[in-house]
Amino acid sequence: MKRFWSMYRVEQKIFFRSPDVILFCLAMPLVVFVAITVITGGKSAADSELTYLQSAYVALSTVGICCSAFMSIPITIVECRSQGILRRMYCSPCSPARLLACDTICSGVVAALSTLILTVAAVVVFGYRMPGNVFAYIAVWLLTMISMFSIGLMVASLCRTTKSMNVATSLLYFPMLLFSGATIPAEVFPKGFQTAAKLMPLGVGIDLLKSVSMGCYDKIVMPVVVLTAIAAICGTVAVKTFRWE
Amino acid sequence: MKEPSVSVKNLTKSFAGRRVVDGLSFDVQKGEVFALLGHNGAGKSTTIDLILGLKAPEAGSAEILGMDAAKHRKQVFERVGVQLQHTQYQPNITVEEACIEYASLYAAPADYPRLLEQFGLDALRKSFVSKLSGGERQKLSVVLALIGKPEFVFLDELTTGLDVVARREVWRTLKQLKQQGLTIFLTTHYMEEAEALCDRVCIIKSGKKVAEGTIGEVVAASGQSNLEEAYLFFMGEEELL
Repeated sequence: MKRFWSMYRVEQKIFFRSPDVILFCLAMPLVVFVAITVITGGKSAADSELTYLQSAYVALSTVGICCSAFMSIPITIVECRSQGILRRMYCSPCSPARLLACDTICSGVVAALSTLILTVAAVVVFGYRMPGNVFAYIAVWLLTMISMFSIGLMVASLCRTTKSMNVATSLLYFPMLLFSGATIPAEVFPKGFQTAAKLMPLGVGIDLLKSVSMGCYDKIVMPVVVLTAIAAICGTVAVKTFRWE
Repeated sequence: MKEPSVSVKNLTKSFAGRRVVDGLSFDVQKGEVFALLGHNGAGKSTTIDLILGLKAPEAGSAEILGMDAAKHRKQVFERVGVQLQHTQYQPNITVEEACIEYASLYAAPADYPRLLEQFGLDALRKSFVSKLSGGERQKLSVVLALIGKPEFVFLDELTTGLDVVARREVWRTLKQLKQQGLTIFLTTHYMEEAEALCDRVCIIKSGKKVAEGTIGEVVAASGQSNLEEAYLFFMGEEELL
């Protein structure tokens, strides 16, 4: 455990040296949140029961997850593989899986930190109070994270080259970031578009988080099942198809 | 009889129908420095991959410390260090962090500050690995190969890209390590390096063994005056056949 911890600490430090992580995971959600809240904060978001503040907080709390799952995780793993780091780790009494576990935990910590920063800003500066149960919210947030991470891990396993991984991550990351409601509030989209957003894996998570944040627990079974199924299927594919070389 | 540290018997491997390693056999004795010599693409790195269990042989066997590395990975690599060709490092990792990370892989790692000092890298502890010169990076990869306190170490083209001074430094350290009982398996393109360091060498061509023995034996068998001439002789002789 001590040995795992020393590797994890090094990896986490390396993570925070990456400008992409600081910019996309930590700074960007905060900037978008401040902008949306200052401009439209108290107004109710289109025809939903949420204000823009309430909607934006929930949506942007998933940006860290989105960046970690669809950028950090696949990029780190595919790079470690293509640069021979996993191969080198294989030639040690330890499994390369440990490095991957450390990196996945690092991504999770960054996603949590991103949400934490956002929460402090929302609560302290803009007076946000969550109508729903906070612990229920944390639970579904974690479920969303695990589910999205399993997609990222599956991409890392399936993509053999850095090139194919770049294409796959771009196809996942940008649509989910922009059109699942994570950054641009889904409420401003036309109706058809909103339905499409709700079909994206991250969209399912955001929808679920919004319900829970408002204390509506009557429609949560289906999304919880969907997210759990994604986690189970993609997680299995990731493990089964993984190659360290 | 003393059991060899590495025992390769009739090892064979092909890629896309081409035999890269072809019926190769040799032993490496405990405590010796052994070099596998051959031109680019002769099958040196593939042989190492097969011994380390990174690739599976088509025929034959390779045992290291009496074990099959693919089946007993943990036990083997607790005692065997490796420096592979073309290993890179995570971007943004420092020398010290790389040492901490690799040390964390072993149950009883060596004292890395001492190793860094031994290889003249202690002043670069806080430097990013990506900022090191080619020679410094090679030396770091040797440090990382030794960080698990191995009794056997594989060094694949460890001095390629090093300047003369850096190469001599690495030689000196390897000689010290040999005196401490370390068994060393290396590949190199520099014949003077093999002459300076090795007890025995094995020359391969297109995956087949063409000569094996002490430097003296190999030179004598070729009728030439030094290892470089002998090497060229064995490479050329094959072409005439």
